[in-house]
Amino acid sequence: MFELSEEHRMLQDLVAKFIDRDVMPLEKAVLAREMSGQKSALSAEEEEVLLGKCRELGLWGLDVPEEFGGANLPTVALIGVYEEQARTCVPFTFPPDSPNLHMLMAVCNPEQRKKYLEPYARGEAQSAIAISEPGAGGDPAGMITRAVKNGDDWVINGRKIWVSRVPQADFVIVMARTGEGKRHEGVTAFIVERGTKGFNIEREIPMLGGQRTYELTFDDCRIPGSQLLGQEGRGFAPMQLRLTVRRLQIGAWCIGMTRRALDMMIEHAKQRVTFGQRLADRQAIQWWIAEAAMKIHACRLMVYDAAAKSDAGKDVRTEASMVKLYGTEMATETIDHAMQTFGAMGVAKELPLQLMAQKVRTMRVYEGPSEVHRMVIARRLLQDRR
Amino acid sequence: MKILVPVKRVVDYNVKVRVKADGTGIETAGVKMSMNPFDEIGVEEAVRLKEKGAATEIVAVSMGVPQCAETIRTALAMGADRGILVETDAELQPLAVAKLLKAIAEKEQPKLIILGKQAIDDDMNATGQMLAALLGWPQGTFASKITIEGDGITVTREVDGGLETVALTLPAIITTDLRLNEPRYASLPNIMKARKKPIDNLKPADLGVDPKPRLTTVKVAEPPKRKAGVKVGSVAELVEKLKTEAKVI
Repeated sequence: MFELSEEHRMLQDLVAKFIDRDVMPLEKAVLAREMSGQKSALSAEEEEVLLGKCRELGLWGLDVPEEFGGANLPTVALIGVYEEQARTCVPFTFPPDSPNLHMLMAVCNPEQRKKYLEPYARGEAQSAIAISEPGAGGDPAGMITRAVKNGDDWVINGRKIWVSRVPQADFVIVMARTGEGKRHEGVTAFIVERGTKGFNIEREIPMLGGQRTYELTFDDCRIPGSQLLGQEGRGFAPMQLRLTVRRLQIGAWCIGMTRRALDMMIEHAKQRVTFGQRLADRQAIQWWIAEAAMKIHACRLMVYDAAAKSDAGKDVRTEASMVKLYGTEMATETIDHAMQTFGAMGVAKELPLQLMAQKVRTMRVYEGPSEVHRMVIARRLLQDRR
Repeated sequence: MKILVPVKRVVDYNVKVRVKADGTGIETAGVKMSMNPFDEIGVEEAVRLKEKGAATEIVAVSMGVPQCAETIRTALAMGADRGILVETDAELQPLAVAKLLKAIAEKEQPKLIILGKQAIDDDMNATGQMLAALLGWPQGTFASKITIEGDGITVTREVDGGLETVALTLPAIITTDLRLNEPRYASLPNIMKARKKPIDNLKPADLGVDPKPRLTTVKVAEPPKRKAGVKVGSVAELVEKLKTEAKVI
């Protein structure tokens, strides 16, 4: 195992302080919004204040290359950052969101770099990505949205669903079928800018955890050929790269969420007395605490291992699947145990545990459901054996 | 003006301190260590003085095991310019630290030395005062406000009765109290820059100081557990118990 460098540990300390002092105090407001049926989000003013502090502290563009003004940190340095961030149920991440950044870095040509990647990397532009369709979710290779070449332009027709961050997105990366190829062959990535004719937001879909996704339709949506990303018919691989980045991030988020649940569980178990005994003195609770601590340790080793391999340029798709699967199941279990330890308080809307439970429930579905990851891991093992 | 800021590596303030099983000290193996919070206030004050143009250079000093370099690095990330590590495995007591700091002060010739009023591990509250005595410099301890005017410095001190203001002539010693300032976070660019700032590595012998302890620790024990209280039925009973049993009124 490698050891995290001194600077990267100091970065994690910095983020931990920032989360504790500046973000944690906003939990109450976020929980109140979710309780009243609103989006569990920060207000524009709250977000503005945090973004200002992030700029001051250099917590911006952490994995953005230096040529675009970023800190160009390796993945291993970001794991601790994600871990600290996820200790709170306040939805706040340092801009720009990493997965699309890495996809754009892999596929943009020089003009697209200037027009889309650079403002995105500076945190001035927002993006979304449309992959899933009503008939193709966990199996995106089954998508049927089609783009047809017309002169120098492309015309997109189809329907996308479960797309996050649409209203604030300046552009959406749309995955569509172009060639004759089956499954993942013949899938191409396009950039569709906000307000393009034929690009419609059909409806907003409220999700668990006070989150929102959107259903989109493309109705003869015409875009110039310059908005094709990467190579025609080869969009699946960079999309996969993006998913790998997110899956490692999810693993690290799950460590943070689980740590919070464990901390709350320990604090409560030491105070709460029932039938003349502290909860902390009961075996059931002790076993939950031990399980959680052991799994956090295991998950952290898994995430750092995958991150280090990824930084070394290795293909970590299998590791990323394992990390995403293990992390979300660990967090699900521990948050549930923490809720049970808290009794009625654990299921009260005032406490962050229930919001964390809702969020991790969605995490077991998005970026590939647990069962698909199990299938993928097993298939690779089966294929590798003679 | 050059400012010297001693920084001590202590058990992090969030960690519950545990006494070693053999009673010789406290457990530090595998425990999170950080800069003494009062020293952090000292670094912050020095950085503010530099930002105001009152100081030109900040030198952070730490003493002890090699990992004290990390504490210096934190000070460098907050804005100190360079570091001095006095490396030793020996147990360092306030008098030894004061003697080592005196030797460094004679070499570096700072106009101001800002220390924490005490370290949160042993709470000795002694090094600053001893250093002032050894150097023969004026001291302003428990500072909650400092103002530099020409060759002098005005220090507002938090004393038991309230606030006391003293005027000192530079060079001088300041020890910080909690309300002097709120230390900043070390920003990411500054964390990265800190890597390139120099840290000098010295041994006590290089400074001609024998850090041998003058005090012997006989035993370290946890404070006694708090006993369960009693419920009283009335105010009259409470007053009676305070008079006759607790004998506090």
